[in-house]
Amino acid sequence: MSTALIELENVCKTYNQGQANQVLALRDITLTIAANSMVCLRGASGSGKSTLLSIIGCVFPPTSGRAAIAGKQLTRMPDRFLTIHRRATIGFIFQHFNVLPELTVLENITLPLMPLGVAPRQRKERAERLMEMLAISHRANFPARQISGGELQRVAIARALINTPPILLADEPTAHLDHPLSLAFMEIMRDLQASGKTIILTSHDRLITEHPAVERIIAIQDGKIYVP
Amino acid sequence: MSFAKQLNLIDYSLSSLWRRRFKSLGVMVVFAGVIFLLASFQMTTKALTSLAAESLAFAPEITIQKMRAGRQESIPVAYQARLSEILGITAITPRVWGYYFNETKGANYTILGLDPLSMPLGDQLGRAIDQRRLPREHEVVLGRGVQGAASGSGSSIISLFRPDLSLKAMTIVGNFQPETDFLTYDTLFMGLADARDLFGLPPEMVTDLCVTVANPSEVATVAKKIASLLPDTRVVTRQQVQKTYQSVFGWRSGFASVCLLTALTSFIIFAWDKASGLTPEEKKEIAILKMVGWQTADVLALRFWEGMIVSLLSFVVGYTLAYVHVSFFEAALFRPILIGWSVIHPSIPLRPTVNLGETLLVLCLTVVPYLTATIIPSWRAAIIPADSAMN
Amino acid sequence: MFLNSWSVALTVLSLVVVVLTAVAVRTAIRVLCWWEPSSDSNRQIRLENETWLSSTLVQYAMGFQVLSLLLFVMAADNLSAVIRGAMCATGALTANQFGMSVLVLKLLSAFFCGFWIVLHSFDISSERYPLLRAKYLALICLLPLVLADVVAQTLYLAYLTPDIITSCCAVVFGEGGGDGGNLLGTVPQGEVLVVFYGTALGLATGGHFLFRRISRWLLWLNGLLWLFFVGLSLVAITTVFSSYIYAMPYHHCPFCILKSEYHSIGIFIYGSLLPAGFLGMASALVDAIPIRLGLGEVVQRFQKKALLVSSILMVLFVALVSYPLCRYLLLGGEGKGARGWPFG
Repeated sequence: MSTALIELENVCKTYNQGQANQVLALRDITLTIAANSMVCLRGASGSGKSTLLSIIGCVFPPTSGRAAIAGKQLTRMPDRFLTIHRRATIGFIFQHFNVLPELTVLENITLPLMPLGVAPRQRKERAERLMEMLAISHRANFPARQISGGELQRVAIARALINTPPILLADEPTAHLDHPLSLAFMEIMRDLQASGKTIILTSHDRLITEHPAVERIIAIQDGKIYVP
Repeated sequence: MSFAKQLNLIDYSLSSLWRRRFKSLGVMVVFAGVIFLLASFQMTTKALTSLAAESLAFAPEITIQKMRAGRQESIPVAYQARLSEILGITAITPRVWGYYFNETKGANYTILGLDPLSMPLGDQLGRAIDQRRLPREHEVVLGRGVQGAASGSGSSIISLFRPDLSLKAMTIVGNFQPETDFLTYDTLFMGLADARDLFGLPPEMVTDLCVTVANPSEVATVAKKIASLLPDTRVVTRQQVQKTYQSVFGWRSGFASVCLLTALTSFIIFAWDKASGLTPEEKKEIAILKMVGWQTADVLALRFWEGMIVSLLSFVVGYTLAYVHVSFFEAALFRPILIGWSVIHPSIPLRPTVNLGETLLVLCLTVVPYLTATIIPSWRAAIIPADSAMN
Repeated sequence: MFLNSWSVALTVLSLVVVVLTAVAVRTAIRVLCWWEPSSDSNRQIRLENETWLSSTLVQYAMGFQVLSLLLFVMAADNLSAVIRGAMCATGALTANQFGMSVLVLKLLSAFFCGFWIVLHSFDISSERYPLLRAKYLALICLLPLVLADVVAQTLYLAYLTPDIITSCCAVVFGEGGGDGGNLLGTVPQGEVLVVFYGTALGLATGGHFLFRRISRWLLWLNGLLWLFFVGLSLVAITTVFSSYIYAMPYHHCPFCILKSEYHSIGIFIYGSLLPAGFLGMASALVDAIPIRLGLGEVVQRFQKKALLVSSILMVLFVALVSYPLCRYLLLGGEGKGARGWPFG
């Protein structure tokens, strides 16, 4: 049986706490995600899905409750330590990929390694291994604005994997992709899961929610986990 | 923060500046301009002070001038005898000097009359003259700026008006060498008697007495003794003249620096504005960096390096341009402020020096305020929340 | 003498340091009043962000204060050319009662900023920020120090009298003094050298033992010895070493060694002595941090690194100041170069 990699217990998140425009984004979220699983978070805009993803992704800590990600308690952890934990634990794939257009593919992929003091040669070696795995080696020195949508997606995946994190978070990864590319993306995710990664996706796309690799769907509504 | 990490951040800073090269270049051009102005002033002041010190090396150690009602008047030559008891004095040279205004040219000439042989090494003075000989009675040596104003170009006679408007004609026996232009450009050098005749001074009077002292460390002591023996005179040491020149140049330079502070302040506000004005793309970039694991401190360091690179590059460019301006163009933009106005002006060979102190001075007046102006905008950029990349 | 480029630059630099410190102190007061680590309010998030601002400001303030110290000495050297009776920086700094005070205040505030940065680095190494209150209380104490510096500097510049020609007949002549010989009076050179080298040896030995095993009492002794050594070194430079660098027996100015005509060797001499002294003293001061705060490992790592670097810098410093003296003693005179250096 896989051990729990992500454990949330009665997690709440409040924005603008104590002010008139206070918003309770998450209420008493309790969930466990096992290591080496693939889970999909589903919810409408404003449901608290992004907030939940941010907490799982160690972007900010919960207001209350217990959140343990890869063995580390996040509650009231200062931002500095959250960042350190995030870069070692979480690989992010953004909705619009968020690849810097003026940087080359290689530079984009190695961005997370720069503040770690990794030397240029080692950065290049690590990136080349990933680019080969994702079949984008031929684009290494191209500016990101010159490559196709599918290639951009793989650059985003490579960047997320460069620090070999155990957890991958993908926020609406197929929102701007066509059917073949979306399928290709899910195949990559399946391969990564097979290699030991824990994958958490957010999506409305039925191609993802009904994909056989997705083991569990977690629905969120009004800041709570929705059980139909 | 490790050295390897800083190298990576510098690498990224350079790339970031290159990607926003038009904005960076705009800041650098203006900054280099401000540095150019300040550095030019500083270099010119320093060069003039050095030049004054060099030229003053030939000045007498002590100059004695007679004062009445706080103003200078002629001094009797007989005062020399009263100084004979002071030990340490090598020579006393009576001197007549003053200004002669040429109405047709609108130029002021410096008239200098003395007996060179009464000065130590005075017989060597001929080396400064192209014909290698000193002027005798009714003869004159001209500075190169005066030559052109002599009565008819190519003429060997120059005529000047005495106070009673009678003409005094003198034979031109040579010009000062070009290397002495800084000191002699507007000078007419003649014998003591001729200078007295020209200014209508009585035979027993001169303008001042130049005292040569053998031991430089004795100058202050000798000056004190002279002052006590001749209470109606002003006793000025060469060191005081040097300090006065330096004070005047320093004051003018300081005044210019204060005026240029307004230019600097405007630039700082401009720099603040540029640093603060992050485009949506720049904000997104920082959010992405933070999402992929860059800490707030890393983004702060990144912005610091960007500021350092821009300011140091601007400094090098501005300082180099200032050096060229002062060396090769004789500080053409600022000469009237520091040197003053004259119809005849020699070419002044300014030799600016680049040393730690002067460089640090300009750095502190320019780079430090710029870096300070970028601190808070950099911090505001660094605290952009990582989750804004998800929107 | 305010209307002078040097005075303008010094004033700008000092005012910048005051402004940076004042903004940092504002953060310190806000943190001390409203810090709630368990809170998720916008104010707490803002305060956490402001802690980054305060540390950045103090780092800049330290860098600018070190620059200010160097600029002040260079300015004194330049201004000595117009001040009555001053031959070099020493004469300018002793022209009125404020000069040396400004120097000491600048040095103290630079050291204070350095200690604060060390404290801050320890604090942020722990998730609980255990030194937060102590750190910001200490930061508040920095402001009066930099204010005292700017006030003393202003008074110094205000009371400087340029030696210019007057129109009256009575003139005051300054003696050609202020060459450092009058800075400290008569100090026996031989004794100074014995104590100097003895203390250096003591520090090297102490550093060696401490590097292998940190012992509290030895650490404090080492720290005190460093404090003594810095003061002693300044005396030794002034009374002994400087005259060998200048190759002039009566020139004892501790500042002229910064000038380019002496290859700015002073930069390397002070650039090794002062950081070495700072690290040596800091390694002892940080031992006062209570063990219960959980920073033991971080503190010990810093102490070992600080002791190593301070020892290396100390050896470099001793070598730099000893070379001209040894050269003189071995070669019997000025040797090849007029300055006592092989390339002089």
